Amino acid sequence: MSTQVLPGPVIKLIEAFSGLPGIGPKTASRLAFYLLRAPQEQALNLAEALQDLKARTVLCARCFNIAETSPCAICQDETRDASILCVVEEPLDVVAIERTREFRGHYHVLHGAISPVEGIGPEDLKIDALLERVRREPVREVLLATNANLEGESTASYVAHLLKASGIRVTRLARGLPVGGDVEYADEITLSRALEGRREI
Amino acid sequence: MGSMRIHHLSLANFRNYTRLELDFSTPLTLLQGDNAQGKTNLLEAIYVLATSRTPHAVAEREMVNWLALEESFPYARLVADVERAGRRQRLEIVVAPQNGEGGNGPTFRKQVKINGVARRALDLVGLLPVVLFLPEDIELVSGAPAVRRRYLNVALCQIDAAYCRALAEYNRVLTRRSALLRHLRERGGNQDQMRFWDERLVMYGSTLLARRQEAISALEGEAQTRQRALTQGREHLRLRYLPGIDLAPDRPEEEVLPMLEAARIEALFGEELRAGREKELAAGTCLYGPHRDDLRFLIGGRDLRLYGSRGQQRTVALAMKLAEMAVMTQALGEPPLLLLDDMMSELDARRRAALLSTLNGVPQAICTATDWSDFDEGFRARARCLRVVEGRIEEAERSA
Ligand SMILES: [Zn+2]
Repeated sequence: MSTQVLPGPVIKLIEAFSGLPGIGPKTASRLAFYLLRAPQEQALNLAEALQDLKARTVLCARCFNIAETSPCAICQDETRDASILCVVEEPLDVVAIERTREFRGHYHVLHGAISPVEGIGPEDLKIDALLERVRREPVREVLLATNANLEGESTASYVAHLLKASGIRVTRLARGLPVGGDVEYADEITLSRALEGRREI
Repeated sequence: MGSMRIHHLSLANFRNYTRLELDFSTPLTLLQGDNAQGKTNLLEAIYVLATSRTPHAVAEREMVNWLALEESFPYARLVADVERAGRRQRLEIVVAPQNGEGGNGPTFRKQVKINGVARRALDLVGLLPVVLFLPEDIELVSGAPAVRRRYLNVALCQIDAAYCRALAEYNRVLTRRSALLRHLRERGGNQDQMRFWDERLVMYGSTLLARRQEAISALEGEAQTRQRALTQGREHLRLRYLPGIDLAPDRPEEEVLPMLEAARIEALFGEELRAGREKELAAGTCLYGPHRDDLRFLIGGRDLRLYGSRGQQRTVALAMKLAEMAVMTQALGEPPLLLLDDMMSELDARRRAALLSTLNGVPQAICTATDWSDFDEGFRARARCLRVVEGRIEEAERSA
């Protein structure tokens, strides 16, 4: 099957899918043809969802989570404990921790981890914003919940070192996480235990 | 009873084997074949299953049969049924394109399974301990430092799971720390980032240094005995460990290294990193650590890599392989599986005899030869004799 004989819009969609992580040319073609045959409504729903994804989400200016408003619902929730800040790599990590219902403090999303191999330095993450926040807000404890792989550990170690000077209590999610494990994929029980067992660093 | 052995090997699309099912029903197996028929590939398959790597550290893709590479889903599969301490296990490696799709030039990945369950490559190591003798073993003496480090790693990983884990972690830290040094050199940045990687490098690196120091001392004793026997008592072999950090900063270079505790090594390693910080930042790569280790072979004070004759280098390489065998046997409580690839043709009578006496003392050995006459009749009578022809294996008549 040569893609040259295909109509332009089909090729365009195949190429768009191919650009997504984990999707090769074969899967991209399969998805495109599936949508071509699917009811009009399903394709339009997908298109609308994609448009809203960018048009109707913002980064919360305070915690940098992805939200519909800024500040986000969590940042606006006055029943939550503003003295403790949980630092995570990705917005999905917030979802995972919220699911446990164990944590009632606030979040700070770094949007990645320091990764020398990928050329990501501290300046590429929301680390300066975290330091600024800790200075301005009544934070007493920072819980570092970055992933348990080398990048996550080194990021936690670096942030902990920067926060040491401020005299704030810095804790790390206990090693209940499977080694090399992502917060996002840890099950609720593991994550609850890790939250309870956090230790000072 | 219950000694270590391989019972069955099954290959699909591994190098020149499209399909192979082979039982190892006898302690001794002798494979005869002309060059390029698949003798070495067969031993290599067992070696890959035992150590999770190829003897020459080639790319994964090269393990896959070249005809299979043309197919839409090219893969190679290696399976061994092994037994150790009365426990039978199935070791499996599949080499396949990373993303599951063909395309042009996909990267190939090894997937490891033990008893059908997906595991890490390092979980495989040590389940079927082997020692592989190759004609190229002379490079252990004449070749680059990386050859000597690989020799130490392969032996130590198979007898010490903690070493194997430390080595895997060390290599992961090394890549990232070098990337950070390069990043800092090229784009600048906060040097506090080094703190974490220094700690980890020292932690895993010191484990490697301490264990290598200990192993080299044990290997030296064994190799000395072998070298004396191989040279009728004429040559006294010394090994000198040249660690990638200075373990004796306050001693003159010629002195023998003191055996150090891991804690002392950690302290020295940490100091070396602090003292060498500017140099490493300027180089943009890791300059200190066991990845820079080397080993020197000395006879009468002469460095054999530089001044040894070919024959002398070959003898020392053989003594070192026999020492590897002995050290592994002590650690495991039984001899590892012995793999000999076309060794006899290169050796004189005395070296052959030394190798044969080792062969006779192991529960299982698999040997290859170009000529049947490389092994005497007595040996051939005790071995199961097989012929390798173009990636197929057939029983050979005893009289061949
Ligand atoms: Zn927020």
